[in-house]
Amino acid sequence: MQNSVVILCVDDEENPLILRKLVLQKHGFQVVTATSARMAMETLNHSHIDLVVSDQLMPGVTGTELAQQIKLAHPHLPVVLLSGVNEIPPDVHYADLFVSKVEGPRALCEHITEVLTQRGILTQQRTQ
Amino acid sequence: MSVNEKANILMVDDQPAKLLSYEAILGELGENLIQARSGRQALEQLLKHDIAVVLLDVSMPEIDGFEMADMMRQHPRFQKTAIIFISAVHLTDLDRIKGYQSGAVDYISVPVVPEVLRAKVRVFAELHRKTRQLETLNEELERRVDERTHQLRESEQQFRTLANSIPQLAWMADADGKIFWYNQRWYEFTGMEAEESSGLDWKHILHPAHADRVIESMLSSRQMGANWEETFPIRGSDGEFRWFLSRAVPICDSQGAVARWFGTSTDISDQIAAEERIRNLNSQLEQRVTELETIMQVLPVGVTVAHDPLCQVMTANQALSDLLGAQPEENISKSTSSAGGARYELFQGGHALRAEELPLQRAIATGRPVPPAEWEIRRKDGSNAQILGSASPLFDADGQVRGAVGAFFDVTSRKKLEDLLRERADLLELASEAILVRDLNGILLYWNAGAEALYGWKRSEVLGQRVHQVLHTEFPTEKSVIDSTLLNFGRWDGNLVQQTRDGDEITVASRQAFKIGTEAILEINRDITAQLHAEEALRRTERLAAMGRVAGIIAHEINNPLEAITNTFFLLRNHPSLDDEAKYYARLGEEELMRACHITKQTLGFYRESQDPVEVSVVELLEDLFELQARRFQLSGITVDKQYRTQGMVRGFPVELKQVFLNLIGNAIQAMPDGGTLRVRVAERINHRKGLHADLCISICDTGHGVKPEHAKRVFEPFFSTKEAKGTGLGLWISKGIIQKYEGSIQFRSIPLKRGNVTCFRVVIPRARHTGEPEPAMIFAGIEDAASTIQGELDAK
Repeated sequence: MQNSVVILCVDDEENPLILRKLVLQKHGFQVVTATSARMAMETLNHSHIDLVVSDQLMPGVTGTELAQQIKLAHPHLPVVLLSGVNEIPPDVHYADLFVSKVEGPRALCEHITEVLTQRGILTQQRTQ
Repeated sequence: MSVNEKANILMVDDQPAKLLSYEAILGELGENLIQARSGRQALEQLLKHDIAVVLLDVSMPEIDGFEMADMMRQHPRFQKTAIIFISAVHLTDLDRIKGYQSGAVDYISVPVVPEVLRAKVRVFAELHRKTRQLETLNEELERRVDERTHQLRESEQQFRTLANSIPQLAWMADADGKIFWYNQRWYEFTGMEAEESSGLDWKHILHPAHADRVIESMLSSRQMGANWEETFPIRGSDGEFRWFLSRAVPICDSQGAVARWFGTSTDISDQIAAEERIRNLNSQLEQRVTELETIMQVLPVGVTVAHDPLCQVMTANQALSDLLGAQPEENISKSTSSAGGARYELFQGGHALRAEELPLQRAIATGRPVPPAEWEIRRKDGSNAQILGSASPLFDADGQVRGAVGAFFDVTSRKKLEDLLRERADLLELASEAILVRDLNGILLYWNAGAEALYGWKRSEVLGQRVHQVLHTEFPTEKSVIDSTLLNFGRWDGNLVQQTRDGDEITVASRQAFKIGTEAILEINRDITAQLHAEEALRRTERLAAMGRVAGIIAHEINNPLEAITNTFFLLRNHPSLDDEAKYYARLGEEELMRACHITKQTLGFYRESQDPVEVSVVELLEDLFELQARRFQLSGITVDKQYRTQGMVRGFPVELKQVFLNLIGNAIQAMPDGGTLRVRVAERINHRKGLHADLCISICDTGHGVKPEHAKRVFEPFFSTKEAKGTGLGLWISKGIIQKYEGSIQFRSIPLKRGNVTCFRVVIPRARHTGEPEPAMIFAGIEDAASTIQGELDAK
């Protein structure tokens, strides 16, 4: 069932993006990537995406700003933001979850599963 | 026997007829004729009378003339008595007569020639008379000589007594100036003995500086026989010289030649010293008088002296003459009005004073000082001046008023200044700043309404006080530096920390000015406490924000690669191509990576909601934590004792603060696995160094196993943990870092007690005082206090 879940991963940095994609794939998600907010919005317009995982700090449009745009176009699409910095942005409420990057891969996957479950996209609690 | 006295002539003859004839012959001589008829009768008459001549008949019975003469010559009284023998000439007789030649003897032969007889008797009578006269004269002379000698002796005795009794030295010298006598006083003074003094050379006792002059004048006066007088010092027995006035007068004999010198020396040392003193005193007096006169003339105060009780002559000094518009030296009396009319009029309270109302006149009339008062002078030229003056009577030796003095001071400019100042003072009262004037000693002279409002002190309470003592002023630099800046440059600006009457600490921007000659310092103080607080709050917020930004950048740069590496290891560890050994390596790497991640999460992690600090209630925050930990308290059997004296509002980041208190509470719980008391206190503490700041104090005490003394210094070090495997050793280090960002402090004390230990952590966060929360009490007066309370609680269990 997880295999049917498609996650859009957004990050301006290539290595972290690939690694994050691999981790999520390892966990059983299907992953598509975008290296900018613009690219992410385009992907959303053409593809079916169940959840967006985006970095918060990106040049140009930030994660929360992207979340805002996504919510405008796809109100029910859950957005999980990752941040390496120690502050929560004021417009954080556009995101469904705001997670520290150093929580680690397992925690990330658990958080995503949690959100998906909450949204009814996943019905199964156990993912591993 | 006087010249006219009759001489006794004794006629001796045994024949009366002859006696009669002699009487007849000698009768005309007018002498006293005495008859004797025999030698015996003749001797009787001789004894009875002073006989001048004996007329002796040689040939008589019984005793003849020669026998008679022999008898007479044997008697001393009659040895010189003249004898005239009457005899018939016999050669033998003549020879015998010659035998009497030693005495006055003559003879007359018979017949007697009357003229011869008369002549001879006359001669003898006359001789006798003369002899007698001489004798009387001699006696008289002798008597007088005796008398004189006696007198002289007495007089000399008196002189010496006198000379010894006088206080002067006295001496006598012979005509050559050789001194043969000194009085007693001389010996006493010179200390010499009589032997030493005789023939003394005065050079030895004269002052060397005067000796030559004195001796020369002595000699010259001796030569001229004139009086001598000199003043010079003589050496006394003690070796000291004393001044003497010496005089000598010559004493002349009947011929006018100098027989002696009589001299005296009078000690005038005291006199000279007294004269010297008087001279000095006079000189000093003259100097004083000159000084006083000079002072009078240069004194800026007008001074006048009335020299008589009627004030007819009044002299004024330069200042007063100028003040009155009079000429120098002019008599300024109004009692003797000059021809040109009075130069000035004196007014008081708008009316002109009559002569008797003038200050000096009043002083004279009442005999008392006229106290200071103000008058107005209107001069003839129409100008006027305000004066302040007073007068005082002068008394003579008998206590009678002899005049008066008065002093007058031109206060025109001062009056004008006072008016000006009064106007300015009105303006000053309107100023919202505190305006004060103090003298150089800090004594407050002026205090405006703004100062009353700012400091809360009423003018009447602080005037005359040392203002900066009253206000507990803290100067930014040494007070002496400020004073010297004021004196040298006239200005000083700076901030002062002061206390109001209510004890509130305020900061004022002070501008101080000093004008030379005014002896007063003007201060204008503006309350900038609120402004400073606002500035400080802003500064702190900016600081926190800036620190947040820095932390953010670091976090970004560390956390991003960390995530990538973590993900890499995650993928690597589960990669099927790895053999067991490689998997083991990957696992080790991942574990170490987890540690790194844990630390960055703790230090650079998500503990801030936003970039801007917000108002946080520490009490609410603690309550949240207690709620979360409620189950753990229950499980460990821990009683929580909470006391909040304030809501503990502080500007900051809730998550950050929560982390601090969670750490402290967590430590406390872990320290009391077998139960105990957790005591939490929140209160404010006034920080006197920072004005209105009230620090927030949070103390968390437990009765757990305590901190070992050897650990006490290390608990805030990173990676120090007493919990062995359980802790990271970062909790307190991070907490301390957080609190330090708030410029606060975190301290602890651990006291071992009989039944357990008490460990208290106290967090102090400085902040502006929250005016809504009125109780600035000490909650944490001392750990001992807390310890004793907890000890009491332990005892109660």
